[in-house]
Amino acid sequence: MVAVRGLALEYRRSGGAASEPVRVPAVSGIDCKFRSSAISAIVGPSGCGKTSMVQAIAGLLSPSAGEISIDGTVVSGVRPHTAVIFQDFGLLPWRTVQGNAELPLVLARVGRAERRRRVESVLRELGLADFSGFYPAGLSGGMKQRVAIARALVSEPDILLMDEPFSSLDALTREAAQEFLLQVRRSRPMTIILVTHSIEEAVYLAETVFVMGGRNPGTLRKRFDIPENRMEGRFADGTVDFRSTPRYLELCGSIRAALRQSGGIDDGATA
Amino acid sequence: MRRQFQADRGRIHGIIIATGAIAALWAVVAVVLGRPFLPGPGAAIAALVRLARTGTLLVHAGASLGRILWALVISFLPAAVLGLAAGRSRRIDAFVSPLVYILHPLPKVAFLPIIMLLFGIGEISKIILVGFIIFSQILVAARDSARRVPRQLIDSVRSLGATHFDLAIWVVVPATLPDLLTSLRVSLGTAIAVLFLAETFATQTGLGFLIVDAWSRIDYPEMYAAIMALSGLGLGLFVLVDGVERLVCPWRPERI
Repeated sequence: MVAVRGLALEYRRSGGAASEPVRVPAVSGIDCKFRSSAISAIVGPSGCGKTSMVQAIAGLLSPSAGEISIDGTVVSGVRPHTAVIFQDFGLLPWRTVQGNAELPLVLARVGRAERRRRVESVLRELGLADFSGFYPAGLSGGMKQRVAIARALVSEPDILLMDEPFSSLDALTREAAQEFLLQVRRSRPMTIILVTHSIEEAVYLAETVFVMGGRNPGTLRKRFDIPENRMEGRFADGTVDFRSTPRYLELCGSIRAALRQSGGIDDGATA
Repeated sequence: MRRQFQADRGRIHGIIIATGAIAALWAVVAVVLGRPFLPGPGAAIAALVRLARTGTLLVHAGASLGRILWALVISFLPAAVLGLAAGRSRRIDAFVSPLVYILHPLPKVAFLPIIMLLFGIGEISKIILVGFIIFSQILVAARDSARRVPRQLIDSVRSLGATHFDLAIWVVVPATLPDLLTSLRVSLGTAIAVLFLAETFATQTGLGFLIVDAWSRIDYPEMYAAIMALSGLGLGLFVLVDGVERLVCPWRPERI
């Protein structure tokens, strides 16, 4: 379980060429829990500190107050079994699909043969085996996303953080990518925390949706539980598309209302 | 691969056509002017062949090339390392940036007398002068390029457990390599110009010496031959950097 207690975060913004960087509050007073092996979503307008939250859980940004703990251990830096997928996928343009996917193992000083073996099985599972020699520039958005997921899975994560992972994909690719994520999740008991602009996406994928609002600092405004999306239930009966039920539309409506209350909706760029 | 080959062929064609056009223009101007200081390209090429046959050309071109390569060896790596470090670390930048602002705009050639007073009039001074120029340009390019490495790439690799050293090796160096090679190309042009100046005195070798020597002997065809050789040296180095770039940056599909 990922537990966040009294969390406040700041980021540094450079104040011009000569002056010292300014400390800007990103979020404050955040208390929440992300259930193990569940998909949770954080939605909120631009600038509400969603990305800072992801960075803090990933151990890339240290709290200025409060703490984050994972299974009882306080996060104090990057953790080997937390994987992060960023909005633009964070693939290195100078490494091939294979080279990108094996990066976590290269950094962990895993030997070449072992690397090849582990990467190959993940690439095959994600349908990337034929593309292992391609550079990211030669891949479509959907494929790049798969490579990013492959790279995350290679490190055998128990926590997967996703910061707007689908926002640069077109609508159809995006839906396919959402299904793909569910399928990947089905084969692995990961805790997934997903940051998104899209209310529809959050309600379709997550069993808990956290609504953030405000700006500098942003705060947590509301929490919605969607038991229909629990993994156990979701995979027991795959015939009904949750998105066609009245309950789905009602949830989207409530979350939209909560977002409006918390300082407006915008569909613009990310924070 | 095939596209690369066609692009290569296209570029070689371009160089041949440009060379032909310059030679034709040269021939026309030489005939129209009809003065001894501008012989036609035929006479210059004949002198070039003569110099090559006697081995004179190899000695002088070798000396010039050697000086440039040594200058590269002493300047490129230190400048790249220092520049990249400054681009990524505020603390190092606080020391490097003032240095850049003072050094970069200075006409380094003007330091030739000081360098000669310090290091003597021999080989070392020439190498240091050329190295100084390459150093300053690579330092600025490396610093600016390192600053532009996308934050997200750094974060995404950090999240995989990378140390500072890992980030430098796997992210910062490859991200800045194309910029470094571009600035190397630019600084090689300047380096050759300065080398010419440095070779005009206190030496008996180098293409710069050959040009001035032929000039003083009023052997104009040989002077033009030496100028052509110096241009050829520059072209050769450009092509070499291109080749290196293709070899070490194979991910750049737009590179031709």
